[in-house]
Amino acid sequence: MASKRFVAKRLLLLVPVLFGVASVVFAILHLAPGDPARVIAGQRASAEQLQQVRRELGLNRPLWIQYLSFLVDAAQFEFGQSYSISRGAPVREVLIDRLPVTLELAIYGQLAGIFIGLPLGIISAVKQDSLTDHLTRVGALTGISVPIFWSGPLLILAFATYLDWFPTSGRIDSTLFLPNTWTLFGTELPLTGMVTVDAVLLGNWQAFTSAVHHLFLPALVIGIYSTALISRMMRSSMLEVVRQDYMRTARAKGQGAKITLMKHGFRNALIPVVTIIGIQFGTLLGGAVLTETVFGINGMGLTIVTAIGALDYPVVQGTVLTFALLFTLVNLFVDITYGYLDPRIQQ
Amino acid sequence: MSTETSQRGVVGRLRASPFLSQLLSNRLAVVGLTIILGMLAVAIYARVTLDPGALASSRLGTEIPDRAPPGWTGPAAFDQHLFGTDSAARDIYKRCLYGAWLALQYGTITVGISTVAGVGLGIIAAYYGDVTDNVVMRTMDVLLAFPPLLLALALVAIFPRELGLWRAVAALTLVYTPRFARVVRGAALKVLEDEYVDATIALGAADPRVLARHVLPNTLAPITVQSTLNFGLAIIDLAALSFLGFGATAGTPSWGLMLSRGVENGLLTGRWWLSFFPGLFLAITVLGFNLLGDGMRDALDPRMREAID
Repeated sequence: MASKRFVAKRLLLLVPVLFGVASVVFAILHLAPGDPARVIAGQRASAEQLQQVRRELGLNRPLWIQYLSFLVDAAQFEFGQSYSISRGAPVREVLIDRLPVTLELAIYGQLAGIFIGLPLGIISAVKQDSLTDHLTRVGALTGISVPIFWSGPLLILAFATYLDWFPTSGRIDSTLFLPNTWTLFGTELPLTGMVTVDAVLLGNWQAFTSAVHHLFLPALVIGIYSTALISRMMRSSMLEVVRQDYMRTARAKGQGAKITLMKHGFRNALIPVVTIIGIQFGTLLGGAVLTETVFGINGMGLTIVTAIGALDYPVVQGTVLTFALLFTLVNLFVDITYGYLDPRIQQ
Repeated sequence: MSTETSQRGVVGRLRASPFLSQLLSNRLAVVGLTIILGMLAVAIYARVTLDPGALASSRLGTEIPDRAPPGWTGPAAFDQHLFGTDSAARDIYKRCLYGAWLALQYGTITVGISTVAGVGLGIIAAYYGDVTDNVVMRTMDVLLAFPPLLLALALVAIFPRELGLWRAVAALTLVYTPRFARVVRGAALKVLEDEYVDATIALGAADPRVLARHVLPNTLAPITVQSTLNFGLAIIDLAALSFLGFGATAGTPSWGLMLSRGVENGLLTGRWWLSFFPGLFLAITVLGFNLLGDGMRDALDPRMREAID
């Protein structure tokens, strides 16, 4: 297991990056041309009303004080209230409501990529230059070239509109209603917000099937992309590894080809792939934004798109920071996994 | 004298070297190159023969039907509206062709500016080291800590809506620059370790001369690969921003915007041609750049060369 010192060092390195990220977000939204006071008070507000709103929001304070107070608030995950899209609601609540939706989508898409992409990549490398290899390579290259906002609509047209196998949008049948809490041994606990998980926790199988039914196409769209990416990486990494001396040594001492491949090859080939999975998680989150827009899923992605259009700055700040934090944490996790797979890194 | 050698080295490497022959022997890379050249021809043809103003304006109220399916799917004459018409009765075929011009034009500008900026920053960081290196690269790290499309979304908010596609170009330039800076800095650091650079500096060459004549030419190879792979990405991201409503202004025949209208007007009614054709053009173009970029990377990797020889 990765040593505690290694993990602690990685965590410390996060601080300056997150500080920078928060500063960039603050800078971006203060450079933006729209006037937040105007958004809240409306187009017909008088100069006095505008002043009043500015005072309430603290926008009349010197810029450096606004900056410092933003940093302090952001550290506590406090972004004020939504200006327009969920008017008056605390941004934190909007985020808590929408984050699980996006996470659910991203996790299923990523899992599909890992469970289909890794084996495909291995087969492709082991049978280099075979027909399977060529098909996998061309398929993977096509997979990363097809934009999500094209594959999504095409899948909807084929499987939802024409064949009517799947719903065109949403997360669950509108007739089904899930409560906010579930009970475990008599204690009431909050639900996760991920419908597939919640349905299982509640033991509501009808809701579960409906959730899977709704999630299938959007997760497939993300899964295609992630499968393509991971199989490409796994293939080239595996090809690199099979040429190494230790592979020959293992075979020379009489170990079977399959065992050598899985025991020595797979683990070593996985190292660079894990890094790539981490880096590409950012692209996956971008993909989730587009997927949510295509499938009308009300997660973080659809929220940020609506918020930017409506100049709802606190919501934009909150969502962008959450996305960046999520991305950074996934990469931290990847770094730690990397240290576990290759203990030399920990030095 | 050392300048002469290095120049010949670079030119030589680009010309007869294993690189080009390697690249041209890669069937997929050649397919990619063919796609790109074909799309470029389409783009130039569209730019010369089509009027963007006419493509943008609505044809509603004329004898042309709106949302008409492609001519060949029904009894209508073959040559009428090969790809059908959109919700403003505009011809999708012509708009797709013009979209190629927009994608390649704005894609080139985006990749061009980020390459130049990234190369500048990367070389400066590598050459001056210390504080300069730290300031530049830590800033790049912060920008790289955002998921790319989300940073672009936050950045488009800075620029006024009227800028249209330029808004997307500006945002994406800031998103891509750090990637180039990182690649170039790595390559430049390797070059700076070489003794001939020390020799040139010892001979009294000024900084700009060392950078321009020695460091820059030797980082060209990784930059070219990065640019090509990034080109496909830039075209997708530009389209994505237009798709989300933060790029091309209403009426512009950009693929992303056409796809967004297709989703709005065609998904539930089964009008597949509204989204199918613009997306097809987009995907083929991106595939072309990815095929070529992949081939270039393989051709530059000496290990791949060994394996094939």
